[in-house]
Amino acid sequence: MVRLLLVGVNHRSAPLAVREQFAVEAAVPVLEKLVAGDEIEEAVLISTCNRVEIAVSTQQLEAARHRLERCFHSELGSGLAQSGVAWRAEFLYEHVDAEAARHLFRVAASLDSMVIGEPQILGQVKDAFRLATDHRTCGPILSRLFEAAFTAAKRVRSETRIAERPVSIARVAVDLAAQIFESFADKAVLLIGAGEMTELALAALRQAGLARLAVANRRREHAFELAKRFNASAHLLADLPELLPAADIVITSVAGSDWMLRASQVSEAQRLRHGRPLFVIDMGVPRNVDPAVNRLADVYLYDIDDLGRQVERNAAERSVEGERAEAIVREEAQRFLGWLFALRAVPTIRDLRARAEEMRAAELQKSAVRLALTPEQFLGVEALTHTLVNKILHAPLSRLRSALESEAGAAQLEAARSLFALDVEASSENGAEGALDPSPDDS
Amino acid sequence: MSEQLIYWAAALYLAASVSAAAGAAQASPTLRRLGVSLLTVAVCLHGFSFAVLHRDGPPPLTDLAAAVSLTAWLGSAAFLFALLLWPRLAGLVVLVAPLAFLGVVFGFLPVDASVPLPVLAGRWSHLHVLLSSAGLALLGLAGGAGALLLIEDRWLKAKRPLGSARLPSLESLDRAGAVAMAVGFPLLTLGFITGVLWLRGATGEWWTGAPHQVWSALAWFIYVGLSSARFFAHQGAHAAARSAALGFSFLIFAVVGVEVLW
Repeated sequence: MVRLLLVGVNHRSAPLAVREQFAVEAAVPVLEKLVAGDEIEEAVLISTCNRVEIAVSTQQLEAARHRLERCFHSELGSGLAQSGVAWRAEFLYEHVDAEAARHLFRVAASLDSMVIGEPQILGQVKDAFRLATDHRTCGPILSRLFEAAFTAAKRVRSETRIAERPVSIARVAVDLAAQIFESFADKAVLLIGAGEMTELALAALRQAGLARLAVANRRREHAFELAKRFNASAHLLADLPELLPAADIVITSVAGSDWMLRASQVSEAQRLRHGRPLFVIDMGVPRNVDPAVNRLADVYLYDIDDLGRQVERNAAERSVEGERAEAIVREEAQRFLGWLFALRAVPTIRDLRARAEEMRAAELQKSAVRLALTPEQFLGVEALTHTLVNKILHAPLSRLRSALESEAGAAQLEAARSLFALDVEASSENGAEGALDPSPDDS
Repeated sequence: MSEQLIYWAAALYLAASVSAAAGAAQASPTLRRLGVSLLTVAVCLHGFSFAVLHRDGPPPLTDLAAAVSLTAWLGSAAFLFALLLWPRLAGLVVLVAPLAFLGVVFGFLPVDASVPLPVLAGRWSHLHVLLSSAGLALLGLAGGAGALLLIEDRWLKAKRPLGSARLPSLESLDRAGAVAMAVGFPLLTLGFITGVLWLRGATGEWWTGAPHQVWSALAWFIYVGLSSARFFAHQGAHAAARSAALGFSFLIFAVVGVEVLW
């Protein structure tokens, strides 16, 4: 019976120092080695900065489990000992069958990511699948699994807003700036002071395409140091009157109890800017910018509390969206599992029909000799036995199929094989797992 | 057949409005895209209905209802064209689609408001209606962009931002408003001039003092002031948006309201 197994290490199961030891530079040799053995039939390896996971299909679950553990322990994680990190079994997690499918669907839909909803993971999973397909380590079972995972991810992206609401101060600042400005490529940022939060916001704005940056600080050496770090021009706070009119986004984080920017200063700058919008992000505690600045036309002032409140609102919205996304994942996983479980029934249904046919033919031959049937009578009795066998098998096979649409159906499958003693005499050629049509004709 | 097409166009404008409103409320790009798609189909049908109308002779554009309908069509078409240049303006569909719907529905109302002038000098009359409608449509777009900018501005100032995925950025709304006004006002001016020429051809007078003329002239002078403030006095985005929204409200009253009331 075909089984799914997924073994991996991610940001929740292992710290970065461990994860970086598992980083896979060349996945193809690993995959080829895995499918070369008898334990594993198909394999796909997903390797990102936050996870290394191997999904396989197998007929021998235990053997495949040991093979993957060995792969992680001795092959991928061979550098652990050298880096002084002791191997621990808890670094690895594993998921089987339905859980494996659900986990992969959550990964592809970015529900298992460090930043939920981040878009890169889907591309990385697609790349991993493509690589495995190109090198023929991925067959029909995993292909179906991954295609279904991509469908789920696409649905999550289009039917929910999971990725839409940023949940970090820096990302919220960028999202607000995007509501004011069409593009950041032609915008200038003025950074007054410095701090961890301002640097994060700056990095996020840079990532969004921001090009021009000026840094102003109380002390010349600090200004130069920051300017060097951010590839910006360095200025003193005394230069603010000249710097303000040129800035579209101002980020402040300066120690001190007095306003660094007063409404009158900003108003004068706005006059020189001909009223172009200005976004002021006050990250100072205590605040650096006079709140009256927000009342000026075309000026938008957000302090650290405003940004924090927005983060909270977004997080609440995301958790609602997360529930909807999980429901989509469950639905798509169930659809895939229905196919997989039905596929598992193929050998049993085939064996059962073969057994019944064998008995019918044998009994017919015996009776034909004993009763000395004419050819016409033989044909009549043969048709009668065919009908009887089909009628007797119809209900159990239909029920078996519907039961197999859920995970619990596996037990019924086992029961059917046991009741009809199919494992005792089933010929090996009947166990054709490669046949992917889960609906053989039983009429 | 033209009437059937107009009914279908109106239904599609309404569907586009509902889809766009739901898209904005739920921040759903899919619903917003659906709104734009429905609007596109509506514009095609609406345009086709004018073509069918034209097949049976010059369309009766001097009829106020037809002129408003034409304005709605031109405005929607201009918006779809603007989307090719600035895709982020798609959020504006939430205003454009309902306005287009109202424009078409206006044509269904039993309004006896055809311009009380003999339809002579056909070239001038049709040119006047076409140019004025195009100007009105573009100034309507400027007004719509302005109104949306004011709403977004209010939410941003109140520290309750709507999210960048829901609506266009303030900058793109401001830019779209500026372009719409820069093209729309000259068209309105040409419409005004051709209107005067039509009047001269029809009555032999340049000025009759009819309410339509007086209010239209007043609206034109207001737009002279608004355009000057916007393009020469470096008016800020917020003030320009407010001017565009108020200016268009006045213009609609001057062109449509006055005809209905008097």
